Amino acid sequence: MSGAGNREQVFPTRMTLGLMKGKLKGAQQGHSLLKRKSEALTKRFRDITQRIDDAKRKMGRVMQTAAFSLAEVQYATGDNIAYQVQESVQKARFQVKAKQENVSGVYLPTFDSFINEEINDFKMTGLGRGGQQVQKAKLVYTRAVETLVELASLQTAFIILDEVIKVTNRRVNAIEHVIIPRTENTISYINSELDELDREEFYRLKKVQEKKQEAQAAAELEEQEPAKDKAETESQIQKQVEKLDIGVQDESDILQENEDDVIF
Amino acid sequence: MAKRSLLAAIADEDSVTGLLLAGVGQVSNEPGKETNFITVVPGKTTVEQVEDAFENFTAERDDIAILLINQHIADLIRYKVDNYTNAFPAILEIPSKDHPYDPEKDSILKKVRRLFGE
Amino acid sequence: MEGLFFNVNYGYVEGVVRGYKSGLLTSNQYVNLTQCDNLEDLKLQLSATDYGNFLAQQSGPLSTSIIQDNLSKKLYQQFQYLKTQSSGKLTKFLDFISYGYMIDNVSLMITGTLHERDRSEILSKCHPLGWFDTLPTLSIATDIESLYSTVLIDTPLAPFFKNCLTVDDLDDLNIEIIRNRLYKNYLEAFVEFVGTEFSNPDDEIMARLLSFEADKRVINIALNSLNNPDLSPEDKLSLFPSYGKLYPTYHGELSQVDDFEQLKAIVENVGEYKDIFSESSDTGAGAKNLEDWFYLLEMQYCKNAFTQQFTLSTVWAWLRSKEQEIRNVTWIAECIAQNQKNRIDNYISVY
Repeated sequence: MSGAGNREQVFPTRMTLGLMKGKLKGAQQGHSLLKRKSEALTKRFRDITQRIDDAKRKMGRVMQTAAFSLAEVQYATGDNIAYQVQESVQKARFQVKAKQENVSGVYLPTFDSFINEEINDFKMTGLGRGGQQVQKAKLVYTRAVETLVELASLQTAFIILDEVIKVTNRRVNAIEHVIIPRTENTISYINSELDELDREEFYRLKKVQEKKQEAQAAAELEEQEPAKDKAETESQIQKQVEKLDIGVQDESDILQENEDDVIF
Repeated sequence: MAKRSLLAAIADEDSVTGLLLAGVGQVSNEPGKETNFITVVPGKTTVEQVEDAFENFTAERDDIAILLINQHIADLIRYKVDNYTNAFPAILEIPSKDHPYDPEKDSILKKVRRLFGE
Repeated sequence: MEGLFFNVNYGYVEGVVRGYKSGLLTSNQYVNLTQCDNLEDLKLQLSATDYGNFLAQQSGPLSTSIIQDNLSKKLYQQFQYLKTQSSGKLTKFLDFISYGYMIDNVSLMITGTLHERDRSEILSKCHPLGWFDTLPTLSIATDIESLYSTVLIDTPLAPFFKNCLTVDDLDDLNIEIIRNRLYKNYLEAFVEFVGTEFSNPDDEIMARLLSFEADKRVINIALNSLNNPDLSPEDKLSLFPSYGKLYPTYHGELSQVDDFEQLKAIVENVGEYKDIFSESSDTGAGAKNLEDWFYLLEMQYCKNAFTQQFTLSTVWAWLRSKEQEIRNVTWIAECIAQNQKNRIDNYISVY
């Protein structure tokens, strides 16, 4: 059936058959597990993409509000506020902390906003005028950046999930389309080889029986023959039977040794 | 990854000012890490400088968790942004005052649409 | 009689200023501006005003900053023209006006020097009205010591530096504090100048405007430093210009306050400022905040300044009104550009 087809290079023995059957079972189990994992991830993935889409649109609005609050600052403080702000910067007040979340065995990082209230580089900014607006813009922008950080978490999760799902799907496909058919092919190959052996064996045994019957018939005939020939014929029959016996002996040995490996 | 705690910005003056007000700015004396924000002035900052900054923030520095970049600036180096696949640092395209947000151009949203075949 | 002599020297300038004043946008024109749907419309509307086709050479898409820059350019041209026409105490007066901007520029340069920024970059950010010949040399100094002893001394601002700051201060004080100290000295010197050089009705009007300016700063500083532990009451006191309606009675108290209600109670003791906090606590959209109240009061004072004849204070009033006008137009442009029409009426128009 599948002599040179896609199968593993094994000797068609019963032991290999057992091994292969185990392998097939494992592959099927792995396949269904991976499939389920991939489905769980994809569900999560779709959820995230939906949220990214929403969040990106929301970001547009949030950033616009923020930009507007900056316009208020410029209205109140006049020019050069940008320069003053840039020069007052020293240490990051707004930082992020990355932590991990486990989704079906995949570690997804999420960013958490972390604001160090002790650091305030802009205490003096706008002291003479517009300080109120500066503080307000600071709050608005802090909120805006928090939204951005959330979005960044989603986006990172998106990229990682995308990658993991690709890998998982590749595995699922590999098992489904390569490993399982291959193992199945191997099994049917072994089966067919074993059947072949069985048939040969059966035929051989039948032949032996035939010969034995022939011999028996000849022996019965002999008893009625004159004794003159008897010794001669007997020795001849003896030889024949011995030969056959050896043959039979050999066959059974082979059958036994079949369980091991190397005969053919 | 634990070291990545800063946000970086490549943006126009107004966006940078706003982000700095929120307190994302960090200035240090360490070589290669002087500032974590670049102000892009139209007509003055070259595309090469933007590219260098992008490289610096994404590849060289190891303390940046999120890179915020104005969408119209990302357009200048679109091929770089589109080809960027790492999870860290995350790249986020943000709108600027004069350039409203256009979801059609966003690298990530493009991927989303490709995946769902829209 | 006094009018006769006034006109000999300053009649022309006053005429010009009053001409400029009548070119200020009126409330009707503001209403028209707020109706615009985009910046191109705004440009069209503005071309019907005194600004003419100031954006004519501008190609490409408009942005609020372009509009603002071009509006400001117009103002600078007018101011420069006045300066070239001025003589005698008017020149001095105009100088004093520009000192205010110089303070901003100098503090900008000092920050730049401290952070070793590119000089041309900073110079481009300097306010044109505060430009003086030795400004670029400020950045030549590489360290604070030489900046103080060789360069700052040569600037017109030297007298303001002299009494309030030492070399050490420059190094470790926040630039905002330096700026405000300079401003305090500047205001005090200005008041003195007005008191000695100007006669009635000039000095009266200018005294009102300057005392308002001083009070505005005092209130702002007190308010903005409410939650700032780095500024001690003594520090604050040293930043308050010793002038204005709040001086000297309330300065001590103002430097001590640590919450908004106390501040409000003190400021409300002065009749003119009774209203400024009345609605400012409500920060919802459309509500006037503190800065708006100040601008509004200032504009009213400026408007009143024009009711007197034979006075140089019109120059100050005009300059301030014009600046407010630029802010207004920028604000309207910003609202249009960012689609925030519900806040567009926040401009201040008194003419």
